[in-house]
Amino acid sequence: MTGAIDIEVCGLQKLFQSTVSDTPVLAIDRLDFEIRAGEMVAIVGQTGCGKSTFLNMLIGLDRPTRGHITIGGRKPYDDFDHFRGVLATVFQQDRLLPWRSALDNVRLPLELLGNDRHEQTARARVWLDRLGLSQFVGAYPHELSGGMRQRVALARAFVVGPQLLLADEAFGHLDEVTSAALRTDFINLARNEGKTAIVVTHQLEEAIEMGGRILVFGRPGHLLADIHLANWSSARLSRLRGDIQQMLQSNVPNRDITKPVPKEL
Amino acid sequence: MSEKDPIGSKALAGFIGRDAFRRPGETLIAVAIFAIVWELLAWVCPPYVIPGWGRIFHSFIELNGDFVIISLLRVAAALVISFVLGLGVAVAMYSSASFERYAKPLVRLFMAVPVVCWILFSVLWFRGVEFRIAFVLVVTCAPVFIVDCLDGMKGVQKDLRDMLRSFRPTRLQFLTKLILPATLPVIFTSWKINISLAIRVVTIAELVGAVSGIGYGLVVAQELFSVADVFAWTLVLVIILFVAEAILGRIEGRMLRWRV
Repeated sequence: MTGAIDIEVCGLQKLFQSTVSDTPVLAIDRLDFEIRAGEMVAIVGQTGCGKSTFLNMLIGLDRPTRGHITIGGRKPYDDFDHFRGVLATVFQQDRLLPWRSALDNVRLPLELLGNDRHEQTARARVWLDRLGLSQFVGAYPHELSGGMRQRVALARAFVVGPQLLLADEAFGHLDEVTSAALRTDFINLARNEGKTAIVVTHQLEEAIEMGGRILVFGRPGHLLADIHLANWSSARLSRLRGDIQQMLQSNVPNRDITKPVPKEL
Repeated sequence: MSEKDPIGSKALAGFIGRDAFRRPGETLIAVAIFAIVWELLAWVCPPYVIPGWGRIFHSFIELNGDFVIISLLRVAAALVISFVLGLGVAVAMYSSASFERYAKPLVRLFMAVPVVCWILFSVLWFRGVEFRIAFVLVVTCAPVFIVDCLDGMKGVQKDLRDMLRSFRPTRLQFLTKLILPATLPVIFTSWKINISLAIRVVTIAELVGAVSGIGYGLVVAQELFSVADVFAWTLVLVIILFVAEAILGRIEGRMLRWRV
């Protein structure tokens, strides 16, 4: 499957039952935004601001308490099976199956889709090759470095040709060099394939490097800023880091950041 | 639990069987010390209390080999039936919370009943000797498989379950691609426990009513007051257990080579 897909988030709220008291915990307060097909979006925010909760609802693993999310007009938690092969996620840890080789891990989503076995192997090999792992197709996860394992996880996400790519703090736990290389791989692959991509991160650098759009989440799960980075000058970009940090600390929206940027800049 | 051992069963598996075969030197020394102490005791005690290795070896080579094969076949058949039944029930319990709520107390009840009681029930309820023995073995081993397999399935990391669910597998795919392979180390551990259990149980079951098998051989030895035969049969049981564990350890090593 190729192409990209629109996302609409409307009045989204998520409450969790507390394990220590009867009062429910508010994880997502109220979220309203849209993501256009082919957009590359980074979601930033402090720990506990509901980034991963939002992503779980987007994947369809969790349901909203109020409001809804639609991807291409359908709700991922209601029409769960409709999204087979439509979206793929790269998680914080590689989450490779330890009893499968790198090749078999990449083949996994294609097996679930019922693709022909030869096609599964061929496509998995292509992606492992693209990510520089052609020498390690038969290696088990424990025989690979952290960076290599995350590359296998990237290949596993891309191999189905999803319309929507999600990454949940997928590069932050690796060393700086590996993290930057993987981030670049992810951005390039998503751009070249024309995918809608959403990257959840707590690293501002990573969000800015994505170069598309930044959604800043405050606590509890609400939108502090929706920043479109197109046409931004390097001076304004360098100021952005401090502005976002200040906004996250104060947990108050900064409307100046979100102002549209004139074309000439 | 480590990333490489998603269900954390490695330590238990190692404790149960593999260490003896990983350290053959220490194992041989321990066995040799035991054999020497035994022989020394045989010199000071009468042969009807502790027979020497010579007498035991003489009895050993004259034992009825068919009895060994019969007991092994009974154990093998019962273990296969128990495993299929146990795994099936465990999968059903894992898949349906309401079924688990009803089945769990029954499994616990079955496990709480002593083996001797099951043997008496089997004598009272069934006529056929083979069926009696199979019943006792299955009713003793299947609950162990159920509990172990269910624990293994429930122990699969949430991270891995969420990862697979994000790809939208069918229920069958979820079981076959994730839950069962992840439970495999626990299944091996359960087999090790059950092999040991089944060999002991089959011997007791054969003591009551059977006319073949190692248990029957023990009854005959006791009736003839042949202490050397009793020790020879005991030696056979120990050897069977060691060989079975060694074979299982080999299979485990091959199938779980993805573990460090």
